[in-house]
Amino acid sequence: MSPLELVDDRFEQLASELKAATPRASIELRERIESLTPPSRRRPAVPLRRLVPAVGLAALAGSLGVAAVIGVVNSGSGDASKRGAVRSDVAALTPEGSSIHGAPPQRATLEDSLPPAQGRLQQYDASLTLRVQDADRLSARTQQAMRVTRSLGGYVASASFDVPGRKGTSTLMLRIPIGRVQRALAAFAGYGTLLSQKISVQDLQQRADAQTSRIGTLRRAVAALQTQLRGSVSTAQRKRLERLLSIERSRLAAQQKTLGATVRRAELARVGLTLVTPTAKANAASGRFDRTLDDAGSVLARELEILLYALVVVGPLLALGGAAVALGRAQRQRSDRQLLERV
Amino acid sequence: MKAKTSAEGFAEAAKRHLDDVHAFLVYLTRDRAVAEDLTAETFARALERWHRYDPRRGEPRTWLCQLARSTALDHFRAEDRRRRREGRYAVAELRESAEPVFGEGLSPALERALAQLSAAEREVVALRIVLELDGEGAASVLGISTTACSTRLSRALAKLEKEVSAGVAA
Repeated sequence: MSPLELVDDRFEQLASELKAATPRASIELRERIESLTPPSRRRPAVPLRRLVPAVGLAALAGSLGVAAVIGVVNSGSGDASKRGAVRSDVAALTPEGSSIHGAPPQRATLEDSLPPAQGRLQQYDASLTLRVQDADRLSARTQQAMRVTRSLGGYVASASFDVPGRKGTSTLMLRIPIGRVQRALAAFAGYGTLLSQKISVQDLQQRADAQTSRIGTLRRAVAALQTQLRGSVSTAQRKRLERLLSIERSRLAAQQKTLGATVRRAELARVGLTLVTPTAKANAASGRFDRTLDDAGSVLARELEILLYALVVVGPLLALGGAAVALGRAQRQRSDRQLLERV
Repeated sequence: MKAKTSAEGFAEAAKRHLDDVHAFLVYLTRDRAVAEDLTAETFARALERWHRYDPRRGEPRTWLCQLARSTALDHFRAEDRRRRREGRYAVAELRESAEPVFGEGLSPALERALAQLSAAEREVVALRIVLELDGEGAASVLGISTTACSTRLSRALAKLEKEVSAGVAA
C-alpha cells in the first residue's frame, strides 16, 4: 500500500503534485558522490553491539574456566579419607588430662593413645565413630567387631543395628579385658574412616587401696569383738558385743563387695563402637569428579556473590548514568524540534 | 575482499538513494545549494560509517535519511549560532529566487505554500509523500512514534492546503 493511499482524499491531488515534482540530484552532485573515496581505516572497528556480548561471553567463559581449574586442582590434593575426616564435625587430637576427644586420622595414633597403665587399677572408657563404605560393609564390620570382642575375652553388652535404606548405623557397647583393649581399638580402627573418638581413663587404684584398708580395719574390729566374746562377760554386755559384731560383719561384707566391684570395673574396658554409612555430602566428596564439581560449584557461587555485590554497588551509578543519557537525549530532541520549527 | 564488498555495497546504495536523500534535504533546507552540500556531506559520513550499517535494523534509505537529518541539524545549529552572533534572523536571509526550489513543475502557489511550512512540517511531507516511506520508517528517521508522525503529516498537509488555497485566492 502506497503512503499516498493513506493520505486523506482531500490531499490526494496535493500529494500527487508533490510526488511528481520530486527534486532530482544534479549531474555535478552525482559525480561528487561517485568520487568519494573510502577513508583509510587505522584499526578495525568493532561495533559496540557486537563487542558487549563478546566481552560478556568471554567473562562467562573465564569464570567457568577458573572454577573448573580450581575444582580440578583442589580435587587432586589429599585422599578421600582425609577429606572425609576434615569434613566431619570433629576436633583436633587434644589430650586433656586423662581424656582424648577428636578424630586422629592416623591409625598409629589411635593405637598408642592412652594405653592402660600396667599394675594399677583403671577404669577405661572408649568411644569410637567410624564411617564404612556401605550397608553391606556395615553389617560385616559389626559382626567382625563382635567376633573380635569375644576372641579377646570380652562380651557385647548391647548392640543396635539400624539400616532403614541405603544408609545405616550400628552401635555396639562392648566390654573388653583392659589388657587387650589396645588390640581391640587397633582392630576397630581398620574398619573404616575414623570420624571421632573419645577415650577416658580414670584411676581406681587409690579407691581400691582405701577400700582394702577399710576392709582390714573392719576385719581387725571383728576379730577384737570375737576375742571379747570368748572371754567372761555379763549377759547384757554379751548381747551388746554380739550386736556390734553383727554390724561390723555387715560392714565388712559390704566393703568387700564394693572392692570386688572396683576390681571388676578395672578388669573390663567399656568400648562404645559406632559405625555409620556415608552421609550424602561425604559421599559426594568421595570421587574426584564429584569433588571437582563440588569445588567448581563453590567457586561459581563465590563469583556470583561478587557479581551481585558489584551490581549492588555499580547498579545505582549505572541507573543514574542511564537516566542522564535519557535526559540528555530528550533535551536534544526537544532542542532539535524547536530548531526545526524556527527554520 | 570484505572491504571491497562493503565499498561496492555503499556505491550501490548511494546510486540508488541519492535522489531520495537529496530531495529530503531540499525539503528540509529550502535551499538547493545548501541541500547539495549537505547531500555530499551526508554521503561522505555514510561512507565513513558504512561498516556500522546493519541491514537488520532498517533499509539503507532509512539509515541514509537519518544521517541526512543529523547532518542538516548540525548545519542548522551552526547557522543558528552564526545568526545569533551576527544578530540577524533566518527570514532576513531568505533568498528570493525565480527558480523553483522544491522541484520542477510545482505550481507557484504550492511552491510558496511549502516555503511557509516549518522544517519540521516539510520533513514529514518529504518522507511520507515525496519519498513514500512507510509510517514506521518515517517515524524512525524523525525519532518519534508512528502516531505522532501521522498526526504531524495530517497537520502539515492541512496547513499546506490552506496556504495553497489562500495563495490561489490572492
